[in-house]
Amino acid sequence: MAPKNGKALVVGAGISGIRAALDLAEYGYGVTLIDTSPNIGGILSQLDYQFPTDSCGMCKMLPLFNRDEGSQYCLRKGLFHENIEILLSTDLISVEGEAGQFKATVRQHLNWVDPKLCTGCGYCADVCPVDIPDKFNENIGTHKAVYLPVPHAIPNPYIIDFASCTRCGACIKACPTDAIKLPQDKRNSFHILVVDDELVMRDSLKEWLTEERFSVDMAASGSEALDMLKAKPYDLMLLDIMMPGMDGVEVLQKAKENFADLNVIMMTAYATVETAVEAMKIGAMDYLVKPFDPDALTPMILRIFQDADGAAEDRQIEVGALVLCSGTGFFDPGSGKNPFGYKTYPNVVTSLEFERMISGTGPCQGKLLRPFDGKPVKKAAWIQCVGSRDLQTDADFCTGICCMFAIKEAVIAKKTSDQNIETTIFYMDMRTYGKTFQRYRDQAKNIYGVNFARERIHSVIQDMATGDLLIKSVDVSGNSKEDRFDLLVLAVGQRPAEGMSKLAELAELALNEWGFGKTGPFSLAKTSREGILLGGSLTGHKDIGDLLIQASSAAVNASRFIHSKGGDLSTEHTLYHPPSGVMKEIPKILIVICTCGNRFLQLADSDHIAGQLKADPLIDKVVFSEKLCTDQGLGNLVELVKEITPNRLLIAACLPYVYKLKAKKLGNEIGLDPALIEIVDINTGYSHLLNPNACYEENKTEILDEESSSASTHHLLSIIETGIAKLKWADASETPKVSVCQKTLVVGGGIAGMTAALAIADHGFEVDLVEQSEQLGGNLNWLKRTLDGHSANELLKNTLESVKKHPKINIHTQSEVINSAGEAGNFHTEVKDPQNQIHTIEHGVTILATGGSQAPTQSYCYGTNPAIITQKELEIKLSDNTIDPEKLHSVVMIQCVDSREEPRNYCSRVCCANALKHALCIKDKNPNVSIYILYRDLMAYGFYEAYYTQARKAGIVFIQYSTDDKPLVEIENNELSLSVFEPILGKRLQIETDIVVLATGIVPNISQNLADMFGVSLDQDGFFQQAESKWRPVDSLKEGVFACGLVHSPRNIAETIATAEAAAQRALGIISHKYLTGSRITASVHHSNCALCEQCINACPYGARTVDYDNERIFVNPGICQGCGTCAAVCPNSASVLDGFIKQQMLAIIDVATG
Amino acid sequence: MSEFEPTIVAFFCNWCTFTAADLAGTSRLSYPPNIKIIRVMCTGMVDPQYIIKAFLEGADGVLVSGCHPGDCHYINGNYKARRRIKLLKEILPQFGFDSKRLRLTWIGASDGIRLAEIMRTLVSQIKELGPSQSKLSMVI
Repeated sequence: MAPKNGKALVVGAGISGIRAALDLAEYGYGVTLIDTSPNIGGILSQLDYQFPTDSCGMCKMLPLFNRDEGSQYCLRKGLFHENIEILLSTDLISVEGEAGQFKATVRQHLNWVDPKLCTGCGYCADVCPVDIPDKFNENIGTHKAVYLPVPHAIPNPYIIDFASCTRCGACIKACPTDAIKLPQDKRNSFHILVVDDELVMRDSLKEWLTEERFSVDMAASGSEALDMLKAKPYDLMLLDIMMPGMDGVEVLQKAKENFADLNVIMMTAYATVETAVEAMKIGAMDYLVKPFDPDALTPMILRIFQDADGAAEDRQIEVGALVLCSGTGFFDPGSGKNPFGYKTYPNVVTSLEFERMISGTGPCQGKLLRPFDGKPVKKAAWIQCVGSRDLQTDADFCTGICCMFAIKEAVIAKKTSDQNIETTIFYMDMRTYGKTFQRYRDQAKNIYGVNFARERIHSVIQDMATGDLLIKSVDVSGNSKEDRFDLLVLAVGQRPAEGMSKLAELAELALNEWGFGKTGPFSLAKTSREGILLGGSLTGHKDIGDLLIQASSAAVNASRFIHSKGGDLSTEHTLYHPPSGVMKEIPKILIVICTCGNRFLQLADSDHIAGQLKADPLIDKVVFSEKLCTDQGLGNLVELVKEITPNRLLIAACLPYVYKLKAKKLGNEIGLDPALIEIVDINTGYSHLLNPNACYEENKTEILDEESSSASTHHLLSIIETGIAKLKWADASETPKVSVCQKTLVVGGGIAGMTAALAIADHGFEVDLVEQSEQLGGNLNWLKRTLDGHSANELLKNTLESVKKHPKINIHTQSEVINSAGEAGNFHTEVKDPQNQIHTIEHGVTILATGGSQAPTQSYCYGTNPAIITQKELEIKLSDNTIDPEKLHSVVMIQCVDSREEPRNYCSRVCCANALKHALCIKDKNPNVSIYILYRDLMAYGFYEAYYTQARKAGIVFIQYSTDDKPLVEIENNELSLSVFEPILGKRLQIETDIVVLATGIVPNISQNLADMFGVSLDQDGFFQQAESKWRPVDSLKEGVFACGLVHSPRNIAETIATAEAAAQRALGIISHKYLTGSRITASVHHSNCALCEQCINACPYGARTVDYDNERIFVNPGICQGCGTCAAVCPNSASVLDGFIKQQMLAIIDVATG
Repeated sequence: MSEFEPTIVAFFCNWCTFTAADLAGTSRLSYPPNIKIIRVMCTGMVDPQYIIKAFLEGADGVLVSGCHPGDCHYINGNYKARRRIKLLKEILPQFGFDSKRLRLTWIGASDGIRLAEIMRTLVSQIKELGPSQSKLSMVI
């Protein structure tokens, strides 16, 4: 594919950043993906398990089409895509310009280990004398000062922690590839000026910084500081804000006038944080909030020192749009009153620490052991809402994910310990508001036996002798309880990420009142600044599925800006074309073996290996190269290939994944198709054989004894022979492709359908929008406003206008889909118009947006009395004034009507917010009205929590009821009476009310018939069944068909729009290409052997195979085939083959393996 | 006489277990060199013929390992492998091979430690079974 002109910058390479980057890259834009940390994956790299599968499926978010452009391996290991440039340890420094033409400056911090040379052998870590806390494992356990940031990532260079490295130089000697260069320590020539009026502060700062070997001077006032700056050059000034006389800001201003390049860090008390933020606008680099300890100060100073020391590279990138996904922080439960004894009692951990404890790569190797004494955990408790939904910690919000997080952790604990653990979750409301969440909760309780306790923990005491935790709690009715636990897991709430205010400052973004990124109205991604989009937990924590939807929504909006500035124009691209006829030539194989310094020669008899290999007539030459990984080594290789002109190349080295990336470039340079270059990993061979200590012991040239040398020779030889076996049968014929009809069909003209249509049409592709009813708009025709006070009316008006005048959108109202056939890239759908005429629409993708509606009910006497209405009816009656709030005395709202219990066992997500909206609206107009909301768990997730707080403050009464004892509505003589058990009072209450409002939830509008036409499945509640709830949230298993809006799942308007934009982005990934290209690893059929038994058709999980009855053949759609090879395994005649893994190759490899 | 060192052929899926093997390698966890790892895209593509071929060529054990149930990158390839291997275990004795010589496991990408453990146990189990002797001559 020819890459496009447009470019984007994605900041933050967590799961959201990856999604957004992949989306933009798949569309064809060049993407720069940066992350502050030395690895990609964000928090997800630390989480091994995700519900509902309770394992991982991250790789499923990789591109399904044009797969050879990107990596095809575990995403935890790493990511590669031709259109994505990944810069790690990199910060965004500034953003200038406007949408379509931003100039962004990024700063990459360099490490002392050269990533190009490091092979990840780890000898450096063996000799490093310094132990530091293991950040990847949430500081449980330690690693060396030279370490792998993530144990499983590739490429996986070691890095050195500058702060703790003592520069002893042992690692330099141990490194076999000379990858480590420790610069001379210039800290004593780095001059720091500390300005503070308090002597204690000055002294302690001087002590800390001198200990860190910096040169430090002190000034007691602003004027003194300015004099000192004139007398001697300083590299850094630490400046207090509150000082008598000249205050910090003034000093900063004056200092910057004369010394514009001076680095300044402001020191501020909590009360003057805003001043510090202001100070950053006039040139301060950062600020520290007092009191701070050396742990906070040192890394910040070291970073500035490193940058000044030249260990950073600034780059300016011109991009059309930015997507910011730089993540979130967490509440520190050890701060403040620390009621749960975090860090005081070893057996109290955070939810993230727990994830590391149960991880296979974690410090306990996946075994759940008590930190106190290493004994197995038999009884564990989770406490929810630690630092969320808590006004005392200034957190009037719900973190949104902790309930599911805790349930999952409890279930995993049960599973990994074979049920030998008792688990209890202490909670306020179990917020299972997502799709399938409620059933997962029920399963946790009923199948795994997780206890759910709606209790408030008031104290945690550790038994000093045993380390047991004594937990005292109070239940809803006020009864005290007490129990012992081995482990207490705190569900810590979210906080804005470190540096969030700085980011907001430089990108000119608005933040909400808790410091999270602010988006909207009606968008989860758009900000007040055009062309800068937000994704990920930067705007508040979300479930993975929701994060990916939001990221795609950000991507599609970014893409719109880029497109509007001509981003779709192609840049020149030299495509590699393999020389014709190479497949007919006799293999002429060149084998290049990297000796990795002289490691190989120590281990194996190279003459013997070369001799054995050359016995094969197809092997043209065997060459040993000293260090293939270096630029010089690679240059030598290129020269060699040009001289020998082999038609196949085998590289025996380490890090095959890294070489795979290089192979493509190499192939272009030497004129060899990458399919004809095979890389085998002889490093794993070394790991088996080499005594890890041998390399750096004094006797470096230690030779293994004869017997083990011959064993290792044999071992390495067999690894190389495996590669030869594969290479001999390698196929470099052109990858097959199918043409794409670059049009879209959107079924359903509600806000979701219209949004999706607009997003696609704005990219210049034609869209057919089919709507069953007379008018577009769906539920927005009656839904007028939202809880956060935005007008849905206006949204509808604007959207309708844009859709109707868009030249690329064809609207078909009063039309119905009759039939549809085809597959991704080429669908044909028959649509019946109002005149009963049938038209066929050709399209490449389908988006289902058929919507949903309020569920019908017969519960609580609905339908027998006009005073019993639904939330939708209330909305309408409040809008058209048929209900006048001022005439009401009492209102009762009943939540979860027929919901969250079988058969409709799901939460409709919008009802609690809706009830809050109506209750607050009525209360606002008539403060004297009594409002009672009868609920089960109040789903005021995320920032809705503040409205819940507001409602309680306004005097709205919330009464929790249980499904065993539901409220009772009775009508006698046309009189409405309602009774409900109030658990706090422990009494049944009789409530007189004017109206009873029922929240019946949402049901989807899609018939099984329609679903069948498009080949999609529906879940047990009749909603669209996603291909994968977390990783492919808007895809169906049938490729090329996507869903959004209420037919996908119950959602509010902004969330609905996000699904629509996500679906549009996924669709664009297909229709923006003229052809869907398969991969080198794609199935095909040898028709002469095929008996048309059709077993492969049943076996294919993607429906990529069809019978071509005209030609009596099996047809494999190479765009849809994902190359799993199941078809080849079931074919009785070996007619079905998986290219890249053909039977001859496999059998030859088995031959070598069995030696 | 030196101790019997079995040859074990391992088919690892590209997505989960091969990643775990790589992790074991980079974490420098030791596992016996007796195991020859063959990367396949999915356990679902492991043709029974490959397994039988390995046994007939002299493998003393075969290990097939992929993603956890519900986790398959290709939706359900691992379930297909499970069915196939169950059947194969029934047939193997007829070829003269103890069905214990064939093993199917699920090992996720971050289970490097578990993988090393499983491989060590498997090697010692196969050592106990002793060398495999094909009762039939080459049929494939």
